[in-house]
Amino acid sequence: MNILETVRLALLQIWAQKLKSFFTLLGVIIGVTFLIAVIAVVEGMNRYVQDDFAGSIFGINTLRVERVRTRNTGREDAATLRRQSRNPDLTVDDAEAIAANVPGIWYLAYATDRFMPEVWSGSNRRKNVRLLGVTDEYLALQGWDVLEGRGISRIDHVRGIRVAVIGDAIAERVFPDGSPVGQHIRLGPFRYRVVGVLKKQGGLIGNIRDASVVVPLGAYHADFARRRARIEEINIKFRTTEEMEAGEAVVIEVLRRRHRLRPADEDDFGIESASQILDAWEKVKNVLLAALPGLVSVALVVGGIVIMNIMLMSVLQRTREVGVRKALGARRIDITRQFLAEAATLSSVGAAIGIGAGWGLAELVDLITPLPAAVSAWSILVAIALGVVVGVVAGVYPALRAARLDPVDALRYE
Amino acid sequence: MNPPDSAIILTEGLTKDYVLGAETVHALRDVDIRIDRGDFVAIMGHSGSGKSTLLNLIGCLDTPTAGKYWLNGQEVSTLDDNELAHIRNREIGFVFQTFNLLPRTTALHNVELPLIYAGVSAKERKATASRALDAVGLADRMKHQPAELSGGERQRVAIARALVNEPSIVLADEPTGNLDSSTSAEIMEIIVKMNERGETIIVVTHEQDIAQYADRLIGLRDGFIERDERRATSSLA
Ligand SMILES: Nc1ncnc2c1ncn2[C@@H]1O[C@H](COP(=O)(O)OP(=O)(O)OP(=O)(O)O)[C@@H](O)[C@H]1O
Ligand SMILES: [Mg+2]
Repeated sequence: MNILETVRLALLQIWAQKLKSFFTLLGVIIGVTFLIAVIAVVEGMNRYVQDDFAGSIFGINTLRVERVRTRNTGREDAATLRRQSRNPDLTVDDAEAIAANVPGIWYLAYATDRFMPEVWSGSNRRKNVRLLGVTDEYLALQGWDVLEGRGISRIDHVRGIRVAVIGDAIAERVFPDGSPVGQHIRLGPFRYRVVGVLKKQGGLIGNIRDASVVVPLGAYHADFARRRARIEEINIKFRTTEEMEAGEAVVIEVLRRRHRLRPADEDDFGIESASQILDAWEKVKNVLLAALPGLVSVALVVGGIVIMNIMLMSVLQRTREVGVRKALGARRIDITRQFLAEAATLSSVGAAIGIGAGWGLAELVDLITPLPAAVSAWSILVAIALGVVVGVVAGVYPALRAARLDPVDALRYE
Repeated sequence: MNPPDSAIILTEGLTKDYVLGAETVHALRDVDIRIDRGDFVAIMGHSGSGKSTLLNLIGCLDTPTAGKYWLNGQEVSTLDDNELAHIRNREIGFVFQTFNLLPRTTALHNVELPLIYAGVSAKERKATASRALDAVGLADRMKHQPAELSGGERQRVAIARALVNEPSIVLADEPTGNLDSSTSAEIMEIIVKMNERGETIIVVTHEQDIAQYADRLIGLRDGFIERDERRATSSLA
């Protein structure tokens, strides 16, 4: 009863002096904003890196060889970039040499792709499609599930049979009624028989997969490639991280030998694994998470001190009120509770504003950067708890001072 | 010593000293008084004679340097802080010269305060406080804040607040000190009515006119009781 009334009055007080309240609460607001936003970005990033990024593009314990690294670290100088641009194309022979010489390979698949303006069947068409030519183990290696029908087989690949596995978005658009399996789609002048449909992935990265048409590499090379032996990527999956790390050295050796590089020459191909990206992310994350408690607590301590000062001033200004309340029968505990509730309300409002601001910041990051950010429920709970705790801690001393006031002195106070 | 049943207030050698550095101010010296249920007492005396000090001691806001004080037969000096708060809440109603209403809250909330500290439920509180405001003629001012009320109205709110917990005794320290003479008369009429309904009242005042309303006059000088006399007739104007 009393507490609710106190909270209401504290809120009125805060609202009556909006600007002053804002500056009083700035520390708490900044602390909580940081807390919410950083946790949202870290958690979003975590999910993105682990589920989407590392998982679906690379797969676990998978090496990817490309002509140049597609995911640059951003620290390459101009010379490196120039050198990379002169790298030779990867070929089917490169891939088969790796398959023949690297021990411990679980899956190996290679692929090449291109943009197709459209695919169609009858009058239904889907524009802007990614056409992928792949070897038979590609879907399994990437973990792309075939929802209906089958994948690309060894025979499809070796014989260059015109079959296709299509993404969910294409199935939906080109075959709106009925199953696509067994039907034909047109890719330019060629007719491909649909043998399977990929499971929908959705999301940022999934959009690309869902709008893909996957065909055997042999058919791709025959129908769409200018240079028949050229491939974009070689993916090699191992059972364990140790095998992958050992395998990486052999892959590099095999390719260097095939490309006739001298010991002093730099690699003329790119090789990456998910673990590198996970490692890099892990480092960034650890820095963020290590800095977070420090930043947040500095802001909260400063915020708490400001609140304590404001509360001390408030107690001084309201000395007479305390005297009146005591004359009317308030016990020390009643006065203590009143000022504690006020301080807690004050800093909770700060926390609430901080939650809003942090949420906004996370949404902004989500919007203007490719980083996904989602505010998690637990960080909000932590923020609210911190708000209350900071308020109570900051309020203890002022509240006790108020409670200890002598009623006669307090009533006489001008 | 056990005080007689009818004595609501009994003091024996009540003394209050203030030590200011090397100097000691004897605000109250050896005061013995006895006030019975239903008494209407005016305390008079020059400024600094100890009137407020005596009232604060009686109201359990202050503790004496020496002497004993029984309120309703209970010795107050043996009580701890919480018990004193309880007594102020249930047994004492204060009316101050400067009204001492909480600003920025309604008249109703001000009157509710003693009920809040008595632990009365919100619903009952509202009803009881409304009745108390009605009794002082402020039924239509409940939602007004002190700043929106005249001096006389503020003091009537304060009186409603003093009465709302049905205390044994109402203590008023110069209740008309900040009011003009006609408003003072209105306030005193209300206090007289309270007394007629059986309330025990002690009023501190400088003014002879105000003291006229009381049945008994205690005069203080330099912390001593200088005179203590009962009037034969009640002084309804
Ligand atoms: N807190 C205090 N510290 C020191 N001296 C005090 C204190 N309170 C009161 N006194 C002194 O005690 C004496 C009695 O004060 P008190 O307030 O009781 O007088 P009063 O009769 O109510 O005067 P007034 O009519 O001006 O209100 C005065 O001399 C005053 O200065
Ligand atoms: Mg006085």
